Amino acid sequence: MTQELLAAVVRALSLGAPLLLAALGAIVNERAGVVNLGIEGMMALGALAAFAVAVEGNSAALAIAAALAVGTAAALVHAVVTLTVVANSYVSGLALAMLGAGVAGLLGRRYEGIPLLDPVTEEPFLVAAGLLAVGLWGFFQFTRPGLVLRSVGESPAAADALGVRVMAVRYGAVAFGGALSGLAGAFLSLAYRPAWTDGMTGGMGWIAVALVIFVGWHPLRAVLGSTFFGLLYYLQFRLQDQGRIPVEVFGAMPYLLVIAALAVSGLRKARGSAPAALGVPYRRGER
Amino acid sequence: MSMTRAACGMLCALSITLAAGARAADPKPADPKPAAKKLKACFIYVGPVGDLGWSNAHDEARRLAEKALPGLETQFVEAVPEAQGLPVIDRLVKSGCKVVFTTSFGYMDHTVEAAKKYPDVVFAHATGFKRAPNLATYMADFYQVYYLNGLMAGALTKSGKVGYVAAFPIPELKRHISAFALGVTAARPGAVVNVKWINSWFSPQKAREAAEALMVEGNDVLAFTEDTATVVQVAARKKVPSFSHYSPMHRFAPDFVVSGQLVHWEKIYIDFLGKVQSGAYAAGKLKDVDYWWLLREGAVELGAQPGMAINPKHVDALKKAQMTVGGKQVPVHDRVMELLKDMSSPDPKFDPFTGPLKDRNGAERVPAGRRMSVEELNSMQWVAPGVMGPVADEPK
Repeated sequence: MTQELLAAVVRALSLGAPLLLAALGAIVNERAGVVNLGIEGMMALGALAAFAVAVEGNSAALAIAAALAVGTAAALVHAVVTLTVVANSYVSGLALAMLGAGVAGLLGRRYEGIPLLDPVTEEPFLVAAGLLAVGLWGFFQFTRPGLVLRSVGESPAAADALGVRVMAVRYGAVAFGGALSGLAGAFLSLAYRPAWTDGMTGGMGWIAVALVIFVGWHPLRAVLGSTFFGLLYYLQFRLQDQGRIPVEVFGAMPYLLVIAALAVSGLRKARGSAPAALGVPYRRGER
Repeated sequence: MSMTRAACGMLCALSITLAAGARAADPKPADPKPAAKKLKACFIYVGPVGDLGWSNAHDEARRLAEKALPGLETQFVEAVPEAQGLPVIDRLVKSGCKVVFTTSFGYMDHTVEAAKKYPDVVFAHATGFKRAPNLATYMADFYQVYYLNGLMAGALTKSGKVGYVAAFPIPELKRHISAFALGVTAARPGAVVNVKWINSWFSPQKAREAAEALMVEGNDVLAFTEDTATVVQVAARKKVPSFSHYSPMHRFAPDFVVSGQLVHWEKIYIDFLGKVQSGAYAAGKLKDVDYWWLLREGAVELGAQPGMAINPKHVDALKKAQMTVGGKQVPVHDRVMELLKDMSSPDPKFDPFTGPLKDRNGAERVPAGRRMSVEELNSMQWVAPGVMGPVADEPK
């Protein structure tokens, strides 16, 4: 029994890690007021970059650096489009999700079917994700830059009036979100399943998008949420032959829970914990 | 505002173009060879060619056929959604294709329609069962190989539990899992095959979590049907032996992959296209042309890598393991090699689905002395004794 529980927790943490990393990144850019639905695409690019560097350069550190860099670069495209050009951020994010997955599939052809014979262990990623969650919580809660970032997401005009460089903060937050999505991709292609295949992110980016809403933009709750989603995913297979509950329920649960969370906050006639200026473009002097 | 819209429009258009470029049509005309009989054959794939799976194997076969047959020119379109079959066929026929291969079950009805629309074009549909005067069907089936892999899995399991990560509960998988289970129980009476369904042909995440769950439940040998090498890799991390599927996967876990199944569609393509070139096959002559090719024809192979039926690292263990055949003790290794030789011969004496066979609920399915017909194998809904776990559409 203990062993069974332990195994389930290990699976939950392992599958939860990429969700947590990507969600933490998204929490940062959304707390600064910028929506980026492109997680799936940035994750795919990060996964490919990490795998390619690991195969060619044989260095895990370089591979992770590459994933961070590629994730950042992809996010910056989104930042330019939504912050500087001020296009619709939801459309741009969707485009980035498709573009990232498509480009990764195209560029990744020569890496299909190659095993990574020296896989990276999962534990460092899990520890890093946990530390990041705590660190981000502290950052938002106790530090002045954290407060500044949140103020940009709540009321960019007020922050601007106080001398905060809204654009710079938002650019930085989006870049950080991209880096963590890239890192989540690196986890998938270096550790979780050490290989590259087109489509290997398998919708995890979208679950991360949902997770952010489910945990109310809170880094510590994201740890619990990602572990819970990971556990549900594992249980749909572990409980398959028990016959009591249809396993499809577990597969659909993350989405059902997000809808429930949205409904609850809607019933409360509140926006929940969503940053007040989330998804609202800011241009100085416009009201 | 207009600038905003323009930027969005451009970005959207760009993304769609790029995404389409990545996955969709990539027709590559081959250089025509100086040849006796010119023929243009075209292939429609359901997946991308780089997927190390189903479509990749068809594409390898296409290239081998092109090499083998002078005068043959080929073209392919990859990642064609099954609902898009007909428009793509239209395009290919317009571009001069005289033979069109549709390589996924889901293209069946579109292929039938196209065959009516273009009576002079030769069509061949993989894994389907609908034929026409200018539409043949073909399949390279693994069930014999699965039986041999089952024998080895039965020999290697210590717990008596073998895990199987399965894609969809359709006749093809029921046939393969049943053949596998018949092998497992022949080598190790009382052993079971625990099946987890992932309801996906391609999902590394599902394949991994299903494999993890199977190992937690005490399954100490794994086999699977899914388009990536995930199960092989996950099993190897826990030092669990596994059987690869469809593509050469030995290199993903050289110490732990025991064997597996490999496909050689080129055997069918070369034979078929050769006969089209010679005139033996033509539109109007295909009503009864149905390839059901097995070990005998070389369309499938035992192994995780071409030319290596059993990983040498596992040969000793398989030689030590004994099983009872006709009242005599035989090493499992020898039994596997003997049956492989027999089923690869022109007139096999052995077939895994020879009666008497009961399903797992005890109902008689094949009477003593009779072999299952191709039709029965193709529509098989029951599963063999030893298969555990829920199975959809199973007759009561």
